[in-house]
Amino acid sequence: MSETPLDVVSISGVVKRFGDFTAIHDASLTVRRGEVHAIVGENGAGKSTLMNILYGLLPRDAGTIELFGRPVTFSGPAEAIAAGVGMVHQHFKLAPSFTVADNIILGSEPLAGYGRIDRARAERDTAAISRRFGLDLDPRAVVGALPVGLRQRVEILKTLYREAQILILDEPTAVLTPQETRELFATMRTLAESGHSIVFITHKLREVLAVSNRISVMRQGRIVATLDNEGVTAQEIAGLMVGRSVLLRVKKAKAEARDEVLLKVDGLEARGERGEAAVDGLSFAVRSGEIVGLAGVQGNGQDELVECIAGLRRPVAGSVEICGTKAVADPRRNRAAGLAYVPADRGGVGLSLASGIWENLTVGHIEEFGRGPFLAIKAARARAAELIRRFDVRGATLDKPAGSLSGGNQQKVQIARELTRDARLVIAEQPSQGVDIGAIESIHRTLVEMRDAGRAVFVVSADLDEIFSLSDRILVIYRGRIVADLVASETDPETVGRYMGGLEEAPPAAAASVSEAADHVH
Amino acid sequence: MSTEALDAAPSFPLAGLVKPLVQPLVAVAIAVLVGGLLVLALGENPIEVYSILVHGSLVGWPNFLVTLQMMSPLLFTGLAVAISFRAGLWNIGAEGQMIMGALAAGIVGYAVDLPTALHIPLALIAAFAGGLAWALLPALLRVWLNLNELVVCLMLNPIALLLSGYVSTHLLKAPGPTNKLPDIADTAALPTFSLYSQVNAGFVIGLVLCLVFAVVNGGTKKGFEWKIMGLNPRFAYYGGIRVPLQAVLVMMLSGGIAGLGGAEQVLGEYRAFYDNFSPGYGFDGIAVAMLANFHPVGVVLAAFLFGALNGGSAVLQMMTGLSKYLVQVLQFIIVLILAAQFSWAFLGSRRKAPPAHAAPAAPKEE
Repeated sequence: MSETPLDVVSISGVVKRFGDFTAIHDASLTVRRGEVHAIVGENGAGKSTLMNILYGLLPRDAGTIELFGRPVTFSGPAEAIAAGVGMVHQHFKLAPSFTVADNIILGSEPLAGYGRIDRARAERDTAAISRRFGLDLDPRAVVGALPVGLRQRVEILKTLYREAQILILDEPTAVLTPQETRELFATMRTLAESGHSIVFITHKLREVLAVSNRISVMRQGRIVATLDNEGVTAQEIAGLMVGRSVLLRVKKAKAEARDEVLLKVDGLEARGERGEAAVDGLSFAVRSGEIVGLAGVQGNGQDELVECIAGLRRPVAGSVEICGTKAVADPRRNRAAGLAYVPADRGGVGLSLASGIWENLTVGHIEEFGRGPFLAIKAARARAAELIRRFDVRGATLDKPAGSLSGGNQQKVQIARELTRDARLVIAEQPSQGVDIGAIESIHRTLVEMRDAGRAVFVVSADLDEIFSLSDRILVIYRGRIVADLVASETDPETVGRYMGGLEEAPPAAAASVSEAADHVH
Repeated sequence: MSTEALDAAPSFPLAGLVKPLVQPLVAVAIAVLVGGLLVLALGENPIEVYSILVHGSLVGWPNFLVTLQMMSPLLFTGLAVAISFRAGLWNIGAEGQMIMGALAAGIVGYAVDLPTALHIPLALIAAFAGGLAWALLPALLRVWLNLNELVVCLMLNPIALLLSGYVSTHLLKAPGPTNKLPDIADTAALPTFSLYSQVNAGFVIGLVLCLVFAVVNGGTKKGFEWKIMGLNPRFAYYGGIRVPLQAVLVMMLSGGIAGLGGAEQVLGEYRAFYDNFSPGYGFDGIAVAMLANFHPVGVVLAAFLFGALNGGSAVLQMMTGLSKYLVQVLQFIIVLILAAQFSWAFLGSRRKAPPAHAAPAAPKEE
C-alpha cells in the first residue's frame, strides 16, 4: 500500500441488535483523512453504539468496516488501538492519583530492562508529544489536581501516544466551559491539519457548525444524511435529527414575577463528599412566577446546594426556606412544605429503575391513594396510565420497569410525578440531560407553563443553551459561591461563560444578598 | 402507541400467577436431577428413593401431619426473612431471634400462673418481644451508625444460642439430666390436633401470618413503601418515605415473627425450652424465603416443600441405606441454584443492559 487512501474509515451496512431491539440499521459512513467529522443525533439514535463498534467495544451483527482500505473486525479496543483508532469517552478513564505521564504511558509503558518502567523516558515522550500538538501539559502534574479541560487533554494525548490516526471523541464538550470548548476546537483543528481524522459525537448543533468539515446525522439507528458544512443551518440539522422541524428555543412570554418568595437560601454552607466547602456562604431567592437558572461547570457546588434544599444533605450553616417554611434535612417535610424536585440522578435518586412505572409514578403521592392503612392500587394505576398518556411517555406500560425506558422517557416519568404534586416550588436539575431534542421541547414547555401558573421554577443546568432558553434570571455558581446574578435578556453566553470559568469576579452588588438579588428583576 | 397496554388489568391474568413459579420450579427440578445422579453414584435407585421420599412425606395421614409439623417453624422463619429481604434489609438473624423468642415463651410458659385464655397470649407476646428485641439492635445500629445489619445479625446468632444455653443449663435449669427449662404449664400449651404428630395451633398461626402479610405487601401503603425501599432506598427517601423508621419497623416485625416461630416449638412441640433445640430453622428460613421469591404465599409453598423433604428423610433413612442428610444435600443444591440464578440475573442485567443511549426507542411513528 503505497499511498494513504482518502477514506481512512469506511463503514458500510453495519447492523447492531440488542435482543429484539435493533440499535443500528444498515449504517454507512466514511471518514476522510484530515477531517473533523461530526456525528449528531438524538439520544438513542445510535451514535455512540456505532462508534463503540468501530472501537471494538461491541461486535456488529452485519456489515463491513474498512480501515485504510483493509477490512477489519476488532474483538476488543486493544486491537482497534493497534490499528490506529483512539477513543475519548464522555467519562474519562484516568487514574486520578497518577501523574500525567504515568496516565499516558499506562498500558504501553516504556521499559528500562528487568521490567522496570523508564520514567524519565515517559516524561520526555509526554513532553514531546504535548509540544508537537500544542497541548500544553506538565508531565509531572497529578491528574486529580487538574481541571476537567486539562484532563481531557491527557485523554487525547494518551491516544496520540499510541499513534492513533483516527480519534473518536464522545460528547467531549459536555463537561467544558465555553472557553475550554474553544481550546478543544482549536486542538481538533490542529490535529486534523496534521493528518489525523476526528470523529466528534455531539448533540450540540452550534458546536457542530463551528468545528466540523462534514456532518453525519443519525436518526433511529440510521445515518439519514451526510452534509458538507457549508451553508447548513442549525434548524436544518435539527430537522434531520428529529424528522420534523423543532423550536430550538421555547416560546415564552415575559416573566411576571410576583413578590412572593418561594425559595430563599440564606448564607448556606455545606460540605461535599470529601469534606471540602462545596457550598460556601450562598444566598439567593426565587419568587413566584419566575424561572431562575443556575449556570455553572459541573462540580462547583450545584449538587450539594440542591441536596440541601431537597433535604438530602444537612447544611453546615445558613438556612433554606421553602414557601415560607424552614427546610430541614428530611425530604418528606420539605416536600410537604411545597417542593417538587426533578433530580439529575434519575437512576439513583429520582426513580427506582427496577420498579414498575406505575410504582415510580405513585411514590410521593402515596397519601393521595391512602384508604386508611390500605393503598388504592386500582386508582393509583389508573392515574399512572393517565399520566403516561398526558406526558406522552413512549414505550411505557404500567408494569414495565422504569429502567427499560429511554433517558428522555424516564425524565418524563419523573416530571409527570413531580409536577402533578401540589407544590409551588419546582427544582429541575439538568432537566434535559440525556433527553432527545423533541422531548426537551416538551419538558421546557412544561416548565414555562409551571412558571405561568405562578409557581417558582429553579433550573440547574450545565448546558448554557438550556439556561438561556428557559431562564428569566441567571445565577452563576463558581466554587460554591454565586458569582453573578444577571437578567437573561440582558446578557449573553460568553459573559456567563466567563463567570462560570471564574475568570471574572462578580460586581459586588450582584451576589451580595437576597434583597439585592430580588431587586435585579424589577 | 397502543393505549390498551395501559389499561389497569393485565391482559392474561394467569400469566401473573405462572411466571413467578418458573424460577423456583426450575431450581427444584435441577436439584432433583443432581440429587438423582448422587443417589445413583451411591449405588441406589433414584426413582425408588424419590418415591420413598414422596410416600414418606405425603401419602397417608400420619406422614402428611409430620410434614405439616416439620414445615411449621419454617413458616415463621421463612416469612421473617422474606419480609425483611423484600424491604432490602438483610436479616439473616432469624435463628437467633427464634431462639430468643423460644426462651421468652419458655420462661413465661412455666413461671407464670394464669388461665389459658391469658397465658397463651402472654407467652406469645413474650416470644414476639424476645425476637423483636434481638432484631432491634441490628436495626438501630443500621439506622444510627450505618452498620451493616447482615453482619450484626449474623454475629447475634451464636450469642443468642450461648445466652439461652447459659439460662437453660445453669440459671433456670430444670432438675434432672436434661439441659432444659422446667416444662411449661398446661395453660400455656398450644393445642395439638393428632396423636401422629406434634403439629399444633402454631401451624395455624404461621399460616394466618403468611396470609396477613400477603395482604400487607400487596395492598397497603406500608407494603408498597417497603417494596420501593427494597429496590431503591435513596429513591424511597427522596420520595418522602420515612426509610429509617420503616427499616426499624420491618426489622422489629421480622424479628418478632421469628420469635413466634420459637413459641411454636416451645409451646406446641416440646412443651419446654430445650437447649440447642433448633437444627437451624432460622437458616433454612433464608432458603425458604429465597425459594419463595420473598412472597408470603410462596413462603407457605416453599416451607411445605422443605417440610416434606425433612419429614420424608426419616422414612428414607429407615427404608434404605442412605443417610437422612441426603435431603439436606438436596436442599443445599436448591439454595445454590437459586443463588446462581440471582447472581446470574444480576450480572445479566448489567451485561445485557444496552448503554443508556441504546435503550429501546419509542415505537416508530414514521
